[in-house]
Amino acid sequence: MATVTPRAALTRLAGPRVRLFERETHLGYLLLIPALLLLLVFVAYPFFFGIWLSLSNSQIGQNGHFIGLGNFQFERSDTVFIGAFMNTVSYTAITTVFKLGLGMIMALLLNQVFPAQRFVRAALLLPWIIPSVLSTLAWRWMFDPTFSVVNWVVIHSHFSATGVDWLGKTTSALAALMIVNVWRGTPFYGIAFLAGLQTIPVDLYEAARVDGASRLQQFRVITLPMLRPVLLVVLLLSTILTFADFTLPYVLTNGAPFNSTQVLSTWAFQTGVNGGYIGIGASISLVLFPLLTVIVAGVMLTLRRPE
Amino acid sequence: MAESEVEPGKAPREAGFTGTPEAWRITDPRWSRRDFLRTSSLAAAGLAAGPLLAACGGSGSSTAASPAPAGAIPKPRPGAKIQLLQWNSFVPAADEEIRRQAKAFSDANNVEVTIQTVTGDQLQPKTAAAVEAGSGPDIIQMQYGWPHLYDTACLDVGDVVAILKDKLGAINQVNDAFCKVNGKYLAVPYAQVPNAWTYRTDLWQQAGFTSFFKTWDELAADGKQLKSKNLPPIAVSLGHAYGDAITMWYPVLWDFGGREVSSDGKHVTISSKETESALKWAIDTWKNGYISQNTLSWLDPDNNQAYHSGLITATLNGASIYIKEVYTTATNHKFAAVSDNADQAKSATSAATLNLIFNHAVMKWTQEADTAKAFILYLMDQANYTSWLNASVGYNGGPFKALSTADIFQKDTKLKPFLDVIGQGRWPGWPAQPSKATAQSQVQFVIVDMFAKAVTSGDAKGAIADAEQKLKRIYELPS
Amino acid sequence: MAAVTSVRAGRVGATKHEIGDRFRGRLFRVYIPVALFTFITLFPFYWMAITSIKSNSELLDHTKNPLFVLQPNLQNYRDLFFKTNFFHWMVNSAVVAFASTTISLVSSILAGYSLARLRYRGATAIGWGVFVTYLVPPTLLFLPMAFIIAQLHLFNNYWALILTYPTFLIPFCTWLLMGYFRGIPRELEEAALVDGASRIQAMVRIVVPLALPGILSAGMFAFTLSWGEFLYALVFMSDTTLKTVPVGVVNELIKGDEFFWGELMAAALLGSVPVALLYSFFVDYFVAGMTAGAVKG
Repeated sequence: MATVTPRAALTRLAGPRVRLFERETHLGYLLLIPALLLLLVFVAYPFFFGIWLSLSNSQIGQNGHFIGLGNFQFERSDTVFIGAFMNTVSYTAITTVFKLGLGMIMALLLNQVFPAQRFVRAALLLPWIIPSVLSTLAWRWMFDPTFSVVNWVVIHSHFSATGVDWLGKTTSALAALMIVNVWRGTPFYGIAFLAGLQTIPVDLYEAARVDGASRLQQFRVITLPMLRPVLLVVLLLSTILTFADFTLPYVLTNGAPFNSTQVLSTWAFQTGVNGGYIGIGASISLVLFPLLTVIVAGVMLTLRRPE
Repeated sequence: MAESEVEPGKAPREAGFTGTPEAWRITDPRWSRRDFLRTSSLAAAGLAAGPLLAACGGSGSSTAASPAPAGAIPKPRPGAKIQLLQWNSFVPAADEEIRRQAKAFSDANNVEVTIQTVTGDQLQPKTAAAVEAGSGPDIIQMQYGWPHLYDTACLDVGDVVAILKDKLGAINQVNDAFCKVNGKYLAVPYAQVPNAWTYRTDLWQQAGFTSFFKTWDELAADGKQLKSKNLPPIAVSLGHAYGDAITMWYPVLWDFGGREVSSDGKHVTISSKETESALKWAIDTWKNGYISQNTLSWLDPDNNQAYHSGLITATLNGASIYIKEVYTTATNHKFAAVSDNADQAKSATSAATLNLIFNHAVMKWTQEADTAKAFILYLMDQANYTSWLNASVGYNGGPFKALSTADIFQKDTKLKPFLDVIGQGRWPGWPAQPSKATAQSQVQFVIVDMFAKAVTSGDAKGAIADAEQKLKRIYELPS
Repeated sequence: MAAVTSVRAGRVGATKHEIGDRFRGRLFRVYIPVALFTFITLFPFYWMAITSIKSNSELLDHTKNPLFVLQPNLQNYRDLFFKTNFFHWMVNSAVVAFASTTISLVSSILAGYSLARLRYRGATAIGWGVFVTYLVPPTLLFLPMAFIIAQLHLFNNYWALILTYPTFLIPFCTWLLMGYFRGIPRELEEAALVDGASRIQAMVRIVVPLALPGILSAGMFAFTLSWGEFLYALVFMSDTTLKTVPVGVVNELIKGDEFFWGELMAAALLGSVPVALLYSFFVDYFVAGMTAGAVKG
């Protein structure tokens, strides 16, 4: 397996001839070719098929007919769907706020000098690195209805006599989902911000300090604005990833108790893949699609706005 | 085998569909009508030719893809390679036995048979993906009603079933219901994982009982006594456990007279006095602590773990708990001497059970249909199958009359309840025939959730209304 | 002492912002938060480690203190290595992750630069199109993708994953890199262009090195997402020797209704700690402030 892919070789070949492509248009398209090629071949068909499925009455193994927004209308009267929708929104919103704040703090901290630095940096990355399936299984074991170590600690430090049936009650189960998500996702924000912090020239801070600005002022006036592009991108990516998060809710609760911890992705999976009603499953998966598309377009325009 | 490429938005072949979401009549199967006609006419010709050929003494040598005439025994094609996809059995020795048999078959017939295993949870998405992709393993172990879900992807294996029926006798009603789709056998009955009660005899004695409960009311009474003596409780899952949750609560519903849907599968009948009485029983038992209240998030391994650490007295499960205590050489033998099994509970009027059901489907895309069928026949050969049953140490049970027992059940009489529950077995959605709708209702855990909601809220009527609404959306689509 | 520390930090030239100069300030503003973060982050790993060296009987014994282990043994690790194909799974995960990350990074650097820096008609629309494909969740995409993989006869083949993983890595990396590219002042490139360099030379010699932290982090993310991906690996790979770590572990350490927690936790640790160590090396690399030095110079 060579590390030089055919596309990379092509780009290198293009080197000496590049003056021919001085015009931005040609260069622009040329640079897009590798990405577009892969995406067109492997995503275009599944993508459009996925959208078509949501607008059809297909079942697994049998393609149905186009029925317009029928599936979406059908879902509107499904109490579990409505619950899953609300769960998805609150799950994403609450965890994002926490990850944002904690991630920024983590980046600022990692940027400092302190003893055992290397160990801490490696350690703080672990939740993000470990495959989600495996870490969620570990958390499930920690929240286990019978053997929860969390409960053991709670009981033995006399916070409560019986502990909490973490995964057996709706509120605590949702809380458990959010805890694991924040634990897993904060390093993502942290590392992205850290890299962003690194690209800010030191001169700016020195100049500000000479001018008498406090550290808080420096943060507000220099750090935040310069981090804005990265912030925007990371925020948007994480939001989309969390909306579509499947492994965590599936492994941790799988909807229990009585489907009250379903999120859109798990409910779509259960109805569409396991239950076979793939048209309905697709519509559940895509219900946030219009909203997210608008947001993406907005961010795209912001990112492309000339400085 | 060429499938017609999916073209989103293209008009279907058959007209007469108004396009409203409620009309879920499928009229455009993935395989073209021409292919379907071709296959079914071949099958018809084969059926007609069968007796003739048999009479002439020919056994119909098979070529790669054409089906052998009925009545003839499918023979493996030398040089063929087939794959069988199944779940990871709890008893590793059982899987080893299957692999050993696969190797023996391969060596004897100059073919290559590979067995792939995944967990129970993952078997379904993998199967769904294979069906959508139109390619994958040659034989897939279909759990529950999957032959109905994936009917467009399964080959008609009526010939194999006929041969087996001839040799091994009648088919268990549940396997039969799952395998037969619209009168055709789309899967070959394979096995059951029977569920029965496993309990601690020492704790049972301590509580002062002389025998294990036989009815649901006795269960509640026994639970009450356990509680008064401060002994560990009876416990069953009220969560989304793939196996354990439905093997408990469907029989409760049925034994109290409740029915999910009418026998024609068209009308939701969950809202009834009988269902209410079932829920009332559950609510009373749960609220008073006669069964454990900690099981709302229990998945399949949770009751096993709780039992092995001595935290519960009795639970409904496959034979895995008992096997781990008594037969596993590795670790736990803590309760080996004090574990016993008992039949599923019943009511005065009904004694229904629900078990995990496995059948083998040969998939339409296979290039080696005859080899696949021959391998299935090999697995179901009485000697082979029985040695697999013995290796499973009681975890599995057979679907044909002649396969309904094995030495292990004689050797260890404590395993007998696992045989007894097979006879009363039913399927989710009973009394309606299995269908896509019953599969959907099972996957959504509608009945289990109804019980879970009822016990936590104390409101039987509300739980029923909620379940009824869900079931109506699944079943009562205008036909 | 504290003064020396701060001066030393300043001399390294890193873009470290001094949060506190005195020890007490640093205690509250650096040491304690770091300790808290570390503890909360690591507790589950401690738990995994403890679980992985417990014997089964200790594991299910609810009377003992679960936070400590009385009779540690390495049986679970031994079983993991000798009774399962764990080593193969690690190799498979590494190969797939490395290959798909490389492909994705190259594609994304080019695409990200194109979309962030160059002006041409349709750029916004194409950019939008690339990212919009990201909004269709993998739990829906995997079914039609299985069909494509089947048509290409790539089932049970590394390439099935290496070619499909970039589909969720590229939009993400491109986006991320766009953000970093935009953070780099245009003047630097313009200066190079004025000096006679071509666009591509400007990109390769100026922008890419400056965005190295971003590229590294995009690479790390891509590697991590590939390493941990589950659904596609489950569906496309069947042979036990070809499975990736998450699929192999879950498939073989969960049998019927029994979870082999000890081995599961051992696998979870072994499946992540080496990668974390590798990462810490890269984190050092860009935190060392190489880029800040380049900018200053």
